[in-house]
Amino acid sequence: AAAQGPASAPAEPKIIKVTVKTPKEKEEFAVPENSSVQQFKEAISKRFKSQTDQLVLIFAGKILKDQDTLIQHGIHDGLTVHLVIKSQNRPQGQSTQPSNAAGTNTTSASTPRSNSTSISTNSNPFGLGSLGGLAGLSSLGLSSTNFSELQNQMQQQLLSSPEMMIQIMENPFVQSMLSNPDLMRQLIMANPQMQQLIQRNPEISHLLNNPDIMRQTLEIARNPAMMQEMMRNQDLALSNLESIPGGYNALRRMYTDIQEPMLNAAQEQFGGNPFASVGSNSTSGEGTQPSRTENRDPLPNPWAPPQATQSSATTSTTTSSGSGSGSSSSSATGNTVAAANYVASIFSTPGMQSLLQQITENPQLIQNMLSAPYMRSMMQSLSQNPDLAAQMMLNSPVFTANPQLQEQMRPQLPAFLQQMQNPDTLSAMSNPRAMQALMQIQQGLQTLATEAPGLIPSFTPGVGVGVLGTAIGPVGPVTPIGPIGPIVPFTPIGPIGPIGPTGPAGPGSTGSGGPPGPTVSSSTPSETTSPTSESGPNQQFIQQMVQALAGASPPQLPNPEVRFQQ
Amino acid sequence: MEPPNLYPVKLYVYDLSKGLARRLSPIMLGKQLEGIWHTSIVVHKDEFYFGVGGISSCPPGGTLLGPPDSVVDVGSTEVTEELFQEYLSSLRESLFRRESYNVFENNCNTFTNEVVQFLTGRKIPSYITDLPSEILSTPFGQALRTFLDPRIQPPEGSPVGPPNGQ
Repeated sequence: AAAQGPASAPAEPKIIKVTVKTPKEKEEFAVPENSSVQQFKEAISKRFKSQTDQLVLIFAGKILKDQDTLIQHGIHDGLTVHLVIKSQNRPQGQSTQPSNAAGTNTTSASTPRSNSTSISTNSNPFGLGSLGGLAGLSSLGLSSTNFSELQNQMQQQLLSSPEMMIQIMENPFVQSMLSNPDLMRQLIMANPQMQQLIQRNPEISHLLNNPDIMRQTLEIARNPAMMQEMMRNQDLALSNLESIPGGYNALRRMYTDIQEPMLNAAQEQFGGNPFASVGSNSTSGEGTQPSRTENRDPLPNPWAPPQATQSSATTSTTTSSGSGSGSSSSSATGNTVAAANYVASIFSTPGMQSLLQQITENPQLIQNMLSAPYMRSMMQSLSQNPDLAAQMMLNSPVFTANPQLQEQMRPQLPAFLQQMQNPDTLSAMSNPRAMQALMQIQQGLQTLATEAPGLIPSFTPGVGVGVLGTAIGPVGPVTPIGPIGPIVPFTPIGPIGPIGPTGPAGPGSTGSGGPPGPTVSSSTPSETTSPTSESGPNQQFIQQMVQALAGASPPQLPNPEVRFQQ
Repeated sequence: MEPPNLYPVKLYVYDLSKGLARRLSPIMLGKQLEGIWHTSIVVHKDEFYFGVGGISSCPPGGTLLGPPDSVVDVGSTEVTEELFQEYLSSLRESLFRRESYNVFENNCNTFTNEVVQFLTGRKIPSYITDLPSEILSTPFGQALRTFLDPRIQPPEGSPVGPPNGQ
C-alpha cells in the first residue's frame, strides 16, 4: 500500500487541477495533491453521478486502484486522467454494432438469444429451411432429425429456381420472417459451420450484427433484380480496385480469407463451392451451365443419387452472381455479397435426388413426417378451410401459368384434403414398395401419354383416367404440375425434383393440400363415376394413388420429350 | 496483490497511397508528404479502427489494406479487454459515431490518437496527426476538401478558411 503520509507531503497540500476525461465528456477537478485515488473517485462520482465502484480511472495506461495516490502515479497539475464508467448491465446492441470482440463472443451471445424466438433453430441447422407457413411449425417438434434435414433439403432444392424464389419471397410469411434481422442472424448463426467461420473471421460476426447490412442482405436476397444490380456494381468496383497497385492482391486475399471459407462452409454440405470454378478459372462441364436456363440434361433415373441438376442449380446462382464477385471493394459489401450468396446458396442445394433416395430407403421418414403433429393439424385446418387451401395452392407458381388448371383444381381441393386424412393413404405412402410401384405405374402412364395421347382419354376403366386424362393433357407440357406429385407430403419432396416450383408452395405456403390437390382429387370423381374394375376401399385407394402419380411425371424425364414434341 | 496484466499496444500505420504520395506530392501539393497515413490500434489481439462504418475491428492486419507498412510500439496498458470494450462503446455513442467521421477532422487517426492516449497516456507520432493540416495548407488540399468534406460547400473562387488541425 502506498504510503500517504503527512511526512512526505507538505503541511498544506497543494491543490492541483486534474482533468478527468470520459469518452463523452471532460471535467476539471481540483483536488489535493496527496489525495488517494479513492478520494478522487468520490469527488468524481458526485460530478458524474455514478457510484465510485463504477468508476475506473486510467492514467498512462495504468488502472488506478483505490488505495493508490495520485502522486504515486505521477498525476500532477494540468494532466488528464481517463475515466470509464462501468454501467451495471453492459451496454450492448446500440445504434451500431454491439460488440466487435472476437467472433466467439458474438456467437455465444446470440445463441442464447435464439432460444427466445419462436423458431427453434436447433432442428433446422440451416435455419432458412423453415420458411413461410412452416416458420412456426418446426417449433412444434419434429419427430426425427431426419425429417428436418429432409425438409431443409427439400425447401432448399425447391427454391433453386429464381421464379420460385420470387414467389417465395412474396409470400407474406416469408417476408415477415426475413424482415426480422435478429431472426435471420440467429438462423445463420445456428449453423455450426457458420460459427466456425465466424471464429476464424470475426468480420462476419460484425456483418451479422450490423442490422443495416442484414437488412440490405435480406432485401437483396428477396429481390433478384436488385441482387443482379448489386453484383454488377460489385463487379465494377472490383475491376476498379484491381487497377490499384496492390489492390488485386488485397482482393485476392480478401476472397481467400473471407469469401471462400464462407462459401465453403455454406456449400460444404451441398456439393462444393460454386465459386471454386470461378476462382480457379476452370470450366467444368457442369459448372458452366448458362444461368437461368433449365437443366436440359435428361435424368435417367430420378431416384438415383444427386447429379448435375443440383450443381447447375447452384451454378445458376453462381453465374448470376457474377464471376469475380467473390470479393468486393469494401469488406462490408463483400461480406454482404457473401452473406447474400450464402442465403442464396442455402436455397440451392443438391438434395432432391438424395432426398428421394432417402425417402425410398427410409419409410420411417415418411411415417415421421406424416405423423408429425403439425402436418396433421395443418391438413385438418386446410380441409376445414377450403378457401385457404385453394388460396395457398393457387399461389403456387405452377398455377399462375395455367389458369385452366387452377379452375380444375379448385373444386377438387376439399375432396383431396379429405383424402389426405385417410389413414390408408398415409400408410400407403409410407410403404416404399407401394410408392415404387406407383411410380412405375406413373411412369407407364406418362409414357403412354406421350406415346399415345389419344388413347388416354378413352382409357377409363379401373383408372378413372377420364379425369386424369384431362389432367395429363395439360400436365405434359405444363411440366411443373408433375412435381406437384401425388401426395401432400411428397409434394415438397420427391417428385418436385429439380423443377421445384411447387416445392415452396408445398412446405412454404401450403405444405399440404396445394399442389397434390388436383391430381388426387381428380380421383374423387372416379370414385363415384368410373367403373372400378376392382372393388373395395383398398383398390379404390390404389387407383387414386395411381391417378395421382400418373399425373405426376418423374422429374423431367418425359418433359423434354414432351416439350420437344410440341 | 498480484501485478496487473500488461497488454502491449501497437499502432499499425498504413500508407493509403502505397508510395504514390511520396512521389507525387511535391508535384501536386507543392510539399513533400511521405504518405497518406491511416492508422489503427492493435490491442488484445484485435485491430481497431475508425472509418465511415464507425468503429470496427478485425484480426490484426485483416483489413483490405493487408499488413501494415509500419508498426509503432506505443507501450503497454493495464486496461482489460472488457474495460476497453466498454470504453469503445462509449466512444461509439459520443465522439466516434458512424456519422461523425470526417476525413479531415475526425478521422481514423483522430480515433487512434484518442485511444492510444486512453490506453497508454501517449500520443501517436505527430507526422500522422499533422497530415490533415499539411494537406489543407496547400491549394490543392483545399480544393480536395470540397470533395471530401461533406460539410463544405464548394467555394466560388479561391479556397478560403484557415487550414484546420484535427
